[in-house]
Formats: sequence, C-alpha cells, structure tokens
Amino acid sequence: MGRSGYNWGLMSINRFKSILSKEYRHIFREPRTLWMVFLSPAFVLIALSMVFTSGTTRVDLAVWDQDRTALSRQFIGTLTSDDDFSVRRISGYNDIESSLTARRIDAGVIIPPGFADTVQSGSTASIQVLLDGVDTLAAGEATGSLLGHASKFGAEVSQQYVLSPPSVQIRGQSAYLPESSDRDSMVPGLIPIVFSLPVIAAALALAREREKGTLETLVATPVRGLEYLGGKLIAYVSASLVGLLPVWLAASLLFNVPFRGNFVLLVVLTTDFLMASVGLAIVVGNIVHSQQAATVLSLLVFFVPAFFLSGLLEPIDTTDVIGTIVSYAMPSTHFVTICRAVFLKGASFLELWRPSLMLAALSVIWLTLGALTFRKEIA
Amino acid sequence: MKTMRKRNFAASSMNNLTRRIVDHLHRIWGLALKEFQQLSRDKLLLAFLIIAPLMELLLMGALAGGGIRNLPLAVVDQDRTRASRDLVAKLEQRDEFRIMGYGDSVEEARSWMQGGDVSAIAVIRPGYGAALTDPARSAQVQIIADGSNQVASTVTLAASEDVAAELSRDLVASHQSAGKGPVELRIVARFNAAMEDQPHSITAMLAIIVFEIALVVAAQSIARERENGTLEQLRVTPLGRLDLMIGKALPTLVVGLVDFLLLVGLVVIWFDIPVRGSVFVLTLLTIPFVIAQIGWGTLISLISRTQQQAMLFVFALAMVEVAFSGFLVPASDMPGIMQAVSYVSSLQHYLVIVRGIALRGASLRTLWVPAVSLAGISAGVLMLAWLRLRIGLDSDSLRQRLVRAWRHLGARWSERPSRSRPDGHSAKKRELKREPA
Repeated sequence: MGRSGYNWGLMSINRFKSILSKEYRHIFREPRTLWMVFLSPAFVLIALSMVFTSGTTRVDLAVWDQDRTALSRQFIGTLTSDDDFSVRRISGYNDIESSLTARRIDAGVIIPPGFADTVQSGSTASIQVLLDGVDTLAAGEATGSLLGHASKFGAEVSQQYVLSPPSVQIRGQSAYLPESSDRDSMVPGLIPIVFSLPVIAAALALAREREKGTLETLVATPVRGLEYLGGKLIAYVSASLVGLLPVWLAASLLFNVPFRGNFVLLVVLTTDFLMASVGLAIVVGNIVHSQQAATVLSLLVFFVPAFFLSGLLEPIDTTDVIGTIVSYAMPSTHFVTICRAVFLKGASFLELWRPSLMLAALSVIWLTLGALTFRKEIA
Repeated sequence: MKTMRKRNFAASSMNNLTRRIVDHLHRIWGLALKEFQQLSRDKLLLAFLIIAPLMELLLMGALAGGGIRNLPLAVVDQDRTRASRDLVAKLEQRDEFRIMGYGDSVEEARSWMQGGDVSAIAVIRPGYGAALTDPARSAQVQIIADGSNQVASTVTLAASEDVAAELSRDLVASHQSAGKGPVELRIVARFNAAMEDQPHSITAMLAIIVFEIALVVAAQSIARERENGTLEQLRVTPLGRLDLMIGKALPTLVVGLVDFLLLVGLVVIWFDIPVRGSVFVLTLLTIPFVIAQIGWGTLISLISRTQQQAMLFVFALAMVEVAFSGFLVPASDMPGIMQAVSYVSSLQHYLVIVRGIALRGASLRTLWVPAVSLAGISAGVLMLAWLRLRIGLDSDSLRQRLVRAWRHLGARWSERPSRSRPDGHSAKKRELKREPA
C-alpha cells in the first residue's frame, strides 16, 4: 500500500470504515449534537406547523355608515351574517386611512349618505371599499368575499332585481384536500426545509477540520480524498435519515396529515435528497475557510431559497428560464414536490420519476463538484 | 468641616465613577477593535457578510415573489363549441394560467395532475354551449385545482371565478340591458394600486436577510472563541461581563446596519420600490431589531459548546422566527395560543414596521406598538444572555450543575441518618458508592 499521497485511486474499505467511525464518533461524542442532528428536524417541523390552522381566515373590516338607515344596517348585517368578516364601526375617512396604515384593518367600507334612498328609487348605489393592497393574496380573497356578500344583499333587498343564476358557474374542487386545509398542504412542503438543519451540520463539520488544521493531519495519512468525503457523506446522510422517523410521526400523528403513499418510497427518495443536499453542503464547506463563513454561506444557500425558490408557496413558473434553472439546482425544490406527492397524492415511483431523476442527477453533480473543489483546496 | 469632607468624598467618588466609565469604554473599544480586525482579516467572510446579502436579494427579488403566474392548466373540452373555445381563450388570457395540454377524459388529466405536470384542470362538459343560449339555465364549468399546494389552489379557484363572472357580465350585456343591481362596490387598493406582489415579498426578504446576518455574526463570534479556547484568555483580562457583551455586540450592530442600508438602497434603486415613510425612522427601529438578534446570538453562543451546535441553534431559531413572523401565515390567522407566542418574535414586529414605513408610509406614532415590543424583546433577550453569562462560562453546562447540586443534596441527606444511627448499614452503602469514583 504505502504512502500514496493524496490521489484518487480505488477506495480501501478499511480506510473508509475508519473515517466513517471517526465521523460517527464526532456526532455521538457530544450528546447535544446527536440530539440536534436527529431531533431538530422534527422539533422545527412542529414549531413551523403549529402556526397553520385548518380553519378559514377572517377579514378585518371597518365600516363607516354615513347613511344610518335601516337599509344600511341591513347591509352591515349581511356582512356579519357569517364568519367571513369581523366588522367594527368607525366614523370618518381619516379613521379608515389611519387604521389601514397601522394595519388594524384589512379593508374599510364607506356607505354613502342617501344610500337607502338610492336603492329604494331603483337605481344603483355605490359603496366605496378601501383595501390594503400590500398583501395581494389576502386582498384578492377579501375582494371576492365582499363582492359575494354585496350580490347576496342585492338579492335580499330588491324585488325587481332577481338574482338570476350567473350564465357561467364555476364548480370548484380542490383535489386531494377537499376541505382545503392550509396545514395539510404546508406540513409536507416544509419537510425539505427542516432537513436542511442536519445537512448544514455536515458543511460545518468540513469547515471545522479545515479551520482547526486537522484536515492536514488527515492528508498525511494514507486516507484518500474519496474515502474521506465518502465517510462524511455516509455519516451525515445516515444520521439525518434516522431523523425522518420523528418527522414522519410528527406529521402524521400530531398534525394528522394524510399519508397516502409508500413509506419505503419516501425513505428511498429522502436518501436521494439527502445525498444531493450533503453534496451541496460539501461544496459550501470546501469554498470557505472558517466555520463562521460556512454558516453565513449555508444560510444564504439553504435558508432563504428554501422558502422563496422551492415552490413551497409559489409554484415555479417554468416559462422563466433562469428562475427555473436556479430553482431546479436546489435539491429542496424537487423534494417539496416529492413530499407533497407522496403524502397527499399517494404517488408511486413511476409518477415521481422526473423529480427523482433530477435529484439523482443533482447528487451526482454536487458530489462531483464537491470532490473536485476538495482536491483543489488540498493541492 | 464635616460638609467639606462630604463634598470632597462626593467629588472623588464622581471622579472615580468617570474614571471607571472611561476605563470600561477603553476596554470595550479594545475588544471591538480586535473584532473588527478579525473580521477584516477573513476577506471571504467579509465578502459573504456585505456582498452576498445584496446578491441574494437581487437574485431572489428577480426570480421569486412576482406572484403566482403561468400555472400549468389542462383543458378537457368535451363540448367543442365556439362558446367552449371562447372560455378556454379567456382562461388562457389570464396571467395565472398557461395551457399545458388538452385531455380527452378527466381521468387522463387527473393522471397528469398526479404526476405533477398540471396544477389545474378545466372540465367543460357536453352541452355547455347549449346551456349558455338558455337564459334560465347556467352553464357549468368544473375546475379541479391541485390542493396539495394550498396557495396555488386558492389562486386557481379565484382566477376562474373571475373569468366566469366576466363571461356572465358579457353575456347579460349582450342579451338585454339589465341593471347592475341595487349595490355596486367601488374597490380601491390602497398603497398598491397596481396590485403588485413584489413589494410584499421583497420587504420580507429584506427583513429575513438582515435578521439572519445579524444572528449568525453574533452567535458565531463568542462560540468561536469558546471552541478555540480563547474565551478563557479573554476572561482573565480585566474585561467585565458587560464589557465583553458590548464589545462583541458593536461589530454585529455595524455589520447589521451597513447591510440594512445597502439592502434598502437596492430595494429603492434597483427594484424601484420607494420608501414612503421616513428612512431615518426605519433605520432607527432597525437598531433594536439588530440588538434583539445580538441578544439571541449571545445566548446561543453561551449555551452551545461548538460552532456546529451554535449553527444548529441559529437555524432552528431562524425557522421558528420565520414561522411566527407572519410571512407564511398572517399572525391574525394563527391559532390563538400561537398568536400570543408570535408576540415574542422580533421578526414579526420588524416586518410590520418595515412594511408599515416602506409601503404604507406609516409614522412612528402609528407604529408605536411594534416599536415598543421590539425594544422590550431586545431588552428581555439581552437580560437572559447576561444572566447566562453570570452563571459562568466554564465548560459546565446547566444540566451538569443541576446534577451536581442534586448529588450534593443527596449526599447531605444520606449523611444525616448515618450520624444518628451508626449501625454501619448506610455507611457501607456510602462505601460502595464511593468505590467507582
């Protein structure tokens, strides 16, 4: 065997095993690190999922009734008839403006003076609505809800105005989640994000050896680069994979998210995802020289894109080529699709071949890049 | 005579006090200088701290946050009339949709959705066109949205309702000149007349990036000294606890504020989102926000023994804060208990402040609640960090201390009966216990 320097040759099982056991010892030595690698995904998933309700959302409304007639009160009554709005009275335009600015209300409704007279004379009275347009999604929902209540009031009030059925009617249906629960949709989507915790631990483990100089000690031993990286990879992938069980238990038992797929498939594809992510983490760990820099870079690479680019909230717009390329280079993008499909759609492997293949390709790309950047650093 | 001495004493104690304060400032400045030197030595880290956040906001802002667009839609047109083609054209005109393919049956389209190729299906049954010509009947269109992404599914259904309403209006107008009905809503979107999504998401990204940078710098600065053993060296210098905390906090505050100002500049100049309120007030309120992260960072670095642990704590905290920030769900839509918990999230208050000042043009007076909460949180977290610092920086964890205190208590308890009953039984037991040690 002898000192073969630091080249890429065939791997030696023995050397690989000793690196692996060293990595495991690093994880197991500190009980706190151990718990954090295994349990932090489940803990964070629980904390993140707690904020979602399965109920519907309410719109905070302020009403300025300038008319003060029975009819205007009836209009307000229509708004409060169900749980869509929480209504409070307000007087004055400035009150509405300042409440909107201070975000105390989502919308202000102004009923003009002479509202009842206009309606009783058979013509159309206009009601002004001032809406907080900052959150467009919430604003859109509030608009739809207000329009619906206004036409309901119209049908109640006017004898001549019969609410004819609309010519075109939409029968909307939400597939997989008929009762449209935010929580059921978000919990599987958050799983890739919570798994970035143990993955980033791998990036830091690599940066630590470089910062402390123990990497150079390793270079002096017959251990080869591939064996070293392989040991790191297997240690962190397997340690994170054990964390899947508490995550799955939290999702299914605590939050009652339906699990319609195959657990073995989930385990296999999670491994696929973890390989790609740890590969990316190795690249991050190779670029930097200190753990501090590794943390900053991991936050920028794993954290913000995971929320904004992964399709968790906004599905990826595939007509935007650059955006699609960047999103697809992130392992979490494909895993969001996979987790939602396995949990909610009960998808089989054949239906998930595309994201699975993408993840496999990403593992190869990132691991190769990791190996290449690693060699450069040592030379 | 007596009063003279008193005055003298008072004067000398005043002198003492000022001298002590000057001493402290001197030490703090020394530590802060060392921190800045360390930062400037690691050029790569400095680049990550200053340039990377800008790049990140540039990239994220350009690629994401533009709202939901071009959702892949499958059409199952079993009617095949002019009216049905008209409907499909109307759907295609919407920004939200992009027609991915035409299916022969619902089952076929459902299989596409199952594989994730389409996120919505429009089913037009036979007889749709015929129903339209009959004013007494209404023509029905079935829209199946992929509920596995709740946000997209809500947008899908809302957009198709819009299309249906538009078609109905057109048809009624062409049939007869029917009245509008007794009420009409004139809806004005304040602060965002064009209903653009970008300002909403860019402000969230800005707040999250400032948050994470401040947290990481603060958390790793002490954890690093601890892991390398240089913290003990610092502790034998005349630096007090408070000196240590302030000296460590100053560089983070500077980095956080510099990043904040650069990011705001980027938002205003590049993304063309004007800050409607006062930039000065916004910067002023960023200070307690960054200080709160310094408090968290210090606390994290005091309870973790390695930088790896500190990083895991940082990420866990960051995710929890994002969850409670109102970015994923508005705070008012959270379950009751979680709403209460979300008040502890500094990111939530800061997001309200940033959006309030930048997008709604709010003043400090309308934003006093989040401003005071932010100040309260930073004071509270700093207090916790200071208390943790008082417990001691040695390698003992809190758990070890508790275990030792418990053992100590147990030992005293077992000693008491042995004194009154020297029958040798409990003494033997103690003997046995002592053996392994």
